[in-house]
Amino acid sequence: MSRDYIMLADTTRCIDCKACVVACRAEWDVPLGHSRDWVASAETRTEQGQPQLHFFPGRCQHCDEAPCIDACPTGAVFKRQDGLVLLEPALCSGCELCVPACPYGARWLDPRTGVVDSCTFCQPLIDAGRQPACVASCPTDALLFGDAADPDSEVARRLEEDGDWFTLSTDEVDCKPRHYYRTGDREVPEAMLPEPPDPYWTQRASESLVNPLAKLGIGGMAALFAVAGAKRFLDRRRGIAEQEPSGEKQATPRGGDDE
Amino acid sequence: SAEPARAMEDHVFSWCNLCPWRCGVIVRRDDNGRIARLEGNPDHPQNEGLLCSRGHAGVMDVYNQDRIKQPLLRDGPRGSDRWRPVSWDEALDLIGERLRAVRDEHGPQGISVLAHSYWKKPYHRLAQALGTPNFIDSVWAMCLGPRMLSYELVAGRPLTGIETLDVRRTRYFLIFGRNLAESFLNGEVRDWMRALADGAKSVYVDPRHTITADRSHEWLPIRPLTDHALVLALIHTVIEEELYDSAFVEDYCTGLDELRERVAGYTPEWAAEETDIDAADIRRIAREMAEAAPAVLAYAPRRMARTRNDVGLGVAIAVLNSLFGVWDRHGGIFRPQRLEIPEPDLPEFPESAAEPIDGTGVPDRYPLANPQFGLASTFWSALAAQDPYPVKAMIAAGNNAMKNTGFPGVVRRAIDQLDLFVATDIQPNETNRLADVILPEPSALERYDDLQEGWGYRGWIAVRMPGMEALHDTRDPWRICQGIAAQLGLEDYFPHGSVRELIEDRLEKAGYDFEALAEKGVITTEADPAHNFPREHGASSRFDTPSGKVELVPSRLVEHGLDDALDYRREVERGGGELHFLFGRVSFHTHTRTQNNPWLAGFMEENPLWIHEETASERGIVDGDTVEVIDSRGCREVFHARVTARIRRDAVYTAHGYGRDDPRLSVAHGRGGSATTFASPDIDPTSGAAAMLRGLVHVRRIEPSEGVS
Repeated sequence: MSRDYIMLADTTRCIDCKACVVACRAEWDVPLGHSRDWVASAETRTEQGQPQLHFFPGRCQHCDEAPCIDACPTGAVFKRQDGLVLLEPALCSGCELCVPACPYGARWLDPRTGVVDSCTFCQPLIDAGRQPACVASCPTDALLFGDAADPDSEVARRLEEDGDWFTLSTDEVDCKPRHYYRTGDREVPEAMLPEPPDPYWTQRASESLVNPLAKLGIGGMAALFAVAGAKRFLDRRRGIAEQEPSGEKQATPRGGDDE
Repeated sequence: SAEPARAMEDHVFSWCNLCPWRCGVIVRRDDNGRIARLEGNPDHPQNEGLLCSRGHAGVMDVYNQDRIKQPLLRDGPRGSDRWRPVSWDEALDLIGERLRAVRDEHGPQGISVLAHSYWKKPYHRLAQALGTPNFIDSVWAMCLGPRMLSYELVAGRPLTGIETLDVRRTRYFLIFGRNLAESFLNGEVRDWMRALADGAKSVYVDPRHTITADRSHEWLPIRPLTDHALVLALIHTVIEEELYDSAFVEDYCTGLDELRERVAGYTPEWAAEETDIDAADIRRIAREMAEAAPAVLAYAPRRMARTRNDVGLGVAIAVLNSLFGVWDRHGGIFRPQRLEIPEPDLPEFPESAAEPIDGTGVPDRYPLANPQFGLASTFWSALAAQDPYPVKAMIAAGNNAMKNTGFPGVVRRAIDQLDLFVATDIQPNETNRLADVILPEPSALERYDDLQEGWGYRGWIAVRMPGMEALHDTRDPWRICQGIAAQLGLEDYFPHGSVRELIEDRLEKAGYDFEALAEKGVITTEADPAHNFPREHGASSRFDTPSGKVELVPSRLVEHGLDDALDYRREVERGGGELHFLFGRVSFHTHTRTQNNPWLAGFMEENPLWIHEETASERGIVDGDTVEVIDSRGCREVFHARVTARIRRDAVYTAHGYGRDDPRLSVAHGRGGSATTFASPDIDPTSGAAAMLRGLVHVRRIEPSEGVS
């Protein structure tokens, strides 16, 4: 049976402790200056004038109508049957067209590999039957991950029970995220809602000559690439990886400083 | 160096060293046998698999480029950052020579030893072997001492840093500045949040709107340093309205009548004037607590080294809890289990010929202070003044008194008169920068340690094994202390060839073997709710006080003539334009130990100064402005303002651990301002603990260019 993976973030329980962010960095060796996940925050006032805090843990929302997939000229970004938005590194040219296409700012070019990176819902871990690193580290049960198609799963139960889950979508931006939030009795601060992607980039992506080829699927793309200049992309990626200095100033990478 | 346990293949067990909660971790290794990352150990009772941001970043304690990588001798004036790398033999020979000279001239009491809770054990043994009474663990006087002492005085149960509160089942929390969501202990915040999700109520008392305040049902912005008045008024109300657990008080408590008299004047109306909290709210809270009792907790601050009467506050909180009969009840305070493992056989320690210079246990000085910890507060002034006798050598492990006390000038003078200052640590800090010799330790993940012995619902022990061979020319603290002991002819006190041998020796005495411990990283006792909650299971409670009862007016306070601590006294009077200076924690940092961790530093580049919008407006300050903070001593720091409604008008706040001036800290150096600059240097006369929150400051806007000192 096909799985239907979703993430729930109960913001009434998030305390902005950042355990999820560092757990992710550790798990995937995310370079400093970038992150696959984050905790966005806002401060508002209640009607009585009391301060009120809002913490929204975020990451790739694994949208069902993902603009990053449409924006990708090489077909590197794809949707798995269970809902995950993933990227095939061998096909990614590092063109970064998908980066501004994402309304959630979830994508970035990894300077070490020349390939775009983002949250995968910890695909290798969940395929091995484990929880994503962020979920496993959350001390307050604010993050829940699971298979919504399984009625016995915690996420299915919570979706049903709480009844007030929503996605970070607006009239302008609704790409059917698979990441749900709830805030209890608190209003959602505007700053938490997605901005429409920059039309320049969206247009440029859709006009791309290569883009229609994406419809051939990954296998077809790979075959075409072999004939039509995939080597150029791969070389470029290798070049970027080699340019990267081995000892960054602030962080000694693993395998670095060994004297 | 320590042999990594290859038999475990891709992982070993350890426990985290980044905060005092000490969660169990699984150390994952990569294909090259190097530490790759940490996971929470699901079998460890302390965290049951959780790991916080600091815990995950523990990997960078190993790989941090700023680590101390070999023994260093000072090769220039103190603080000049001129160091000469030397061999371990040369360092230990020099240390031995100077320690022998100090001991010959001044006796063993002329040598002091300082260590902190996480890894004090070998250093404590070294001090005991020496026969010096001058052993200091700063955690008591700078943090939990008054809280621990108060529970000991009232109930004979000294709740320590890991308190046995049944948070998960508590139905009503009254929290006094205990910032659970940010002064972060994994299991504690998890249980609190689960209790809230199940409908428990949380009332949070703090001049500042913390994340804990935000997640609570009520935030009571109390006037700074008046918490004692609020608790006294609650006790007053509970007694006058007979809201207490009369059966418990009848069977288990002494002193109700005397207490009633002592609190007679502390009406809610009186407290409202003092605290800025409505009398009606005080009465309502007392009633709501009684309704939820015994599943109710008046939650003491974590760091109770704030005022000159934190013992008064601590006793009042312990008394309020006792009136609600929380002892050994679900949702109250439970009786822990322990797993006792015998210590190794050692020669008897010599008696100390002298009293400790800090006055711990000394009549007329600090008779109630705890000799296991000493007083990191009074120690430094005694050392600086060489009073009552000379102390000329100091061995300090992981200490950063230059940045964690309100009197760095005294600390500096104390250090300046030493003949020998040996600092051991894994990373630089402002205090070891002043040492004569720095000895580098391996990070927690590169070494064995003695057993971790914990308590809680179950008793347990845990193992720390090295995740890989040490990266640098380091020695674990046991080997360091063994080396120093050998220089002084005290090697018989360190008979084990390695820490692994020490562990195996102890385990064998208890009938356990190492392999069994290494399998899951922990061994625990069987769960036994009847032991934790005897009064839920038809058994009685026991209280280890002089009377064998809960003493609502503690006899030991009276006996020492210190019972005026039970009465309220005002802390400080603000002068015109002055503001209370508050400081505290953020969840991704611990003390001054994590600001240089590159995985954590980015969450807050520098610590802003919180200031209320009206207070800011009166001073022409807008958000982001550069501001100068200055106190009556002329101490000064520069911050950027965060203008907010999240703090009272009469106070400012910033996070502790910033404002680092050790240039060897390449990440943390020069970011933000130091909070402890404005920590008051005062002492609580009852306990001898520090009274750090009495600072008053002036704040003004300056041009950014004036911020450069």
